[in-house]
Amino acid sequence: MIKWIANICFIGSFLAFGLGTLGLFRFPDPYTRMHAVGMGDTLGVGLVGLGLLLLSPNWILRIKLVVILFLFWTINPTMTHLVAKAGLIHGTQPVEGTRLRKG
Amino acid sequence: MRKRSLVLFALLLVFWVVISAGVDPQHILAGAILALITVWFWQDLGPRLPSIPFAKELLHLGRCLVLLVLYIVQSNINVAKTLLFSSPPVSPVFVVMEPPIKSNWGRVLLATCITITPGTVTIDVDPETGRFIVHALTEETAIGLFYWRIIDEIKNLETLRQRRAKHVVDTGRTHDLDSLSTLTSDYRADSH
Repeated sequence: MIKWIANICFIGSFLAFGLGTLGLFRFPDPYTRMHAVGMGDTLGVGLVGLGLLLLSPNWILRIKLVVILFLFWTINPTMTHLVAKAGLIHGTQPVEGTRLRKG
Repeated sequence: MRKRSLVLFALLLVFWVVISAGVDPQHILAGAILALITVWFWQDLGPRLPSIPFAKELLHLGRCLVLLVLYIVQSNINVAKTLLFSSPPVSPVFVVMEPPIKSNWGRVLLATCITITPGTVTIDVDPETGRFIVHALTEETAIGLFYWRIIDEIKNLETLRQRRAKHVVDTGRTHDLDSLSTLTSDYRADSH
């Protein structure tokens, strides 16, 4: 039973990574591609971690996996932000039709 | 400040024991020595470290994280829908907004929350005015960002902490008040 749930998690993460890669080709500019890749980096990695948590044989391994997931989910947004900011500073043009909304 | 160093030491030691293979005297001794060296090396960081959170604050933060995971799943589905079914593929928006959060850690937390949710990426945060520049994938995500529940949660957490920081400085119980500069730098690190 647990094996099956873990397998469903792995399939879900495969879908997330696959859709992210599809978005890499389908979206027009670096900023929007970042969102597509972010899909694999959050839900994809999270589901792989959940599946491995379910399959892991002892508690020390589970704690290590949680630490890895925590590190991944804190480093990933930082790097995404850095790439986006570097793009804006170096003058990467967003796709035509991008609007500005103030609030 | 000494209390904070102790907590930092304990955290580093626990991390070491978790990462190393098992609990035996050799590992614990090596971990204790390394943690001690690390704490000693970074002792200038002392006043800059945030104060130790209360159980209530941790509970609040935990609720915030659970909410965030739900939002991550939801926005993943939204991005997948946009990716597969919308034509033309996207209509991205740059959002300029000023959420009512004053502290540095609150802004960092909010920026991280925005970036980790697929569909929105924080590009810049102005440290003076607290103005966020966010790139959103669709118009709906951009509008939803203004009324995001995480903003309110972080705002609540901030008021919770601020009330406590004021209380601490008023009574001076948990600070060692040997010099004015320690107090001011401590207060700055806590309240900003």
